[in-house]
Amino acid sequence: MSRALALLGKELADLRQNLAIFVPSVIVTVVAIFMPVMVAVIVPAVTGERLSDSGDLEIALEMYKKDPTMRALEPEAAIQAYVFQYFLVMLVLAPITSAMSVAASSVIGEKQARTLEPLLVTPITTLELLGGKLLGALLPALFVAVISLTLYLVVVAAVAANGVFSVLLGPRTLGVVLLLGPLASMVALQLAICVSSRVNDARTAQQLGIFVILPIPALLLGQIFGGIELTGPLILWIALGLFLVNIGLMWVAIRLFDRETILTRWK
Amino acid sequence: MASGVLTASHLSRRFGDRLAVDDVSFTLAPGEIFALLGPNGAGKTTTLRILAGLIAPTTGSVEIDGQRMGPQSAPQLRSRIGFLTEAPGLWDRLTVRDNLLVYARMYGLPAPRKVVDDALERFEIRDRGDDRAAQLSKGLKQRVALARSLLHDPRIAMLDEPTSGLDPGSAREVRDLVLSLRDQGRTILLCTHNLDEVERVADRVAVLSRRLIAVGTPASLRSKVFAPRLRITLNQPAERYATVLRTAGLSDVHVEGPVLLVGIAHAAMTTPDVVRYLVEAGAGIETVMPEEPPLEDVYLKLLNPSGDAS
Repeated sequence: MSRALALLGKELADLRQNLAIFVPSVIVTVVAIFMPVMVAVIVPAVTGERLSDSGDLEIALEMYKKDPTMRALEPEAAIQAYVFQYFLVMLVLAPITSAMSVAASSVIGEKQARTLEPLLVTPITTLELLGGKLLGALLPALFVAVISLTLYLVVVAAVAANGVFSVLLGPRTLGVVLLLGPLASMVALQLAICVSSRVNDARTAQQLGIFVILPIPALLLGQIFGGIELTGPLILWIALGLFLVNIGLMWVAIRLFDRETILTRWK
Repeated sequence: MASGVLTASHLSRRFGDRLAVDDVSFTLAPGEIFALLGPNGAGKTTTLRILAGLIAPTTGSVEIDGQRMGPQSAPQLRSRIGFLTEAPGLWDRLTVRDNLLVYARMYGLPAPRKVVDDALERFEIRDRGDDRAAQLSKGLKQRVALARSLLHDPRIAMLDEPTSGLDPGSAREVRDLVLSLRDQGRTILLCTHNLDEVERVADRVAVLSRRLIAVGTPASLRSKVFAPRLRITLNQPAERYATVLRTAGLSDVHVEGPVLLVGIAHAAMTTPDVVRYLVEAGAGIETVMPEEPPLEDVYLKLLNPSGDAS
């Protein structure tokens, strides 16, 4: 355990010196915040057409009638609240992007810098090594999730109609960003570590992360056009699914991380 | 096989169809510098990795202090080995101190900061402790890597090409460090192409070309490959005295101006006999020295017995 913590300390110290690695996460966060602001605030303000008058958002109005937490809101504010909740899913991309960037360069970065062999000579076990690498990518991803959510809520408080902020600041929001976000990030980064163990190119590992990213816009579109509602129980089911996938990936990662192959295929 | 600090028994390693190491056996004695020589692709690094428990042999075994290396024992046995990889392998964005500190913690050393401070002092890099590794010269990086590989005070140091790519000054510093390690009683396995370095530091040499071709002290390898020769310097032209020696029964006699090169391996004569013949013939002898072929010639001859070593 102490060896995993030593490696974690190294990973975090290394990241502090390489903050540029978080640029993709910053871009994703800005886009994830800008898109709902554009839809819910800027476009109505520019066109002068209220969201509650638009036929495209009938689903939101129907939900407005059903959801008791929304009844205190004006129709316009309720639709804004739904828009901001829909796009909340996009915020999950920020920690995933961070985790993928860090993890994909993690094992491959060590290979390319030829720092892996001295590490493997120490008594560190594969589980400790992967644990240190995993935490080294997960903790920054959690940090990114918290920061991006805070920014999102600050922007909502600043630009949305009265009452939207308090509706958004609920367990569902926290569940999406702080539960699904880290779990999906773990899937992404374990996938990246698995791939990193077998390839010599960080980009290959990052490209495979698309399999984790793709379901998120799909979920957003499903909410808007397919009537999928990201309810508390659904969030918990998704979280359970991601948890199980993570356990499976951990098993695979340990088996794929073959020291001999990594050393002898090293170019 | 005699027991030593490290014993390699009949090591072979196959990668697919390619046999990288074939039936290699040797034992390292405490406090010796053992050099592993061989051409590129001879299996030196593979052998070193097998000995360090990084890869498993296809057949054969490794014992350290009498304990057999295996999947279960490898992590614990690795802590008795200091391994200097061919590339320094430092984390460029971390300081020298932090690079060492991570490893001190990896080895579970008590008071890791003090251990690192001591290492910085011992390897004379204290003033660079807070510099990032990326800022160091190649020689300094190698010095830090050496400090890292010895942080946990291992009994055995395995050094893969420790002076590769270093300027003569830095290479000399590393060689001095290697010698000081031997003086501290450590066993050193040196893997190198640098024959001059081997000549200067190694107690024993193994020549590897997938198989172990020869093992021994540099002197014993010389005598194994080349016949004993004398280098006799006269104070006059030597040609006339070469004829005297040939007449006396020596066939291997060469002349270089005032110098006679005389092979006495297969002759019934000893050095005093040769000197006596020359003195009786009126030669003025200035010096008589054993002629030592460079280790490079020995190495090339061992690798290619039918070829011309020179």
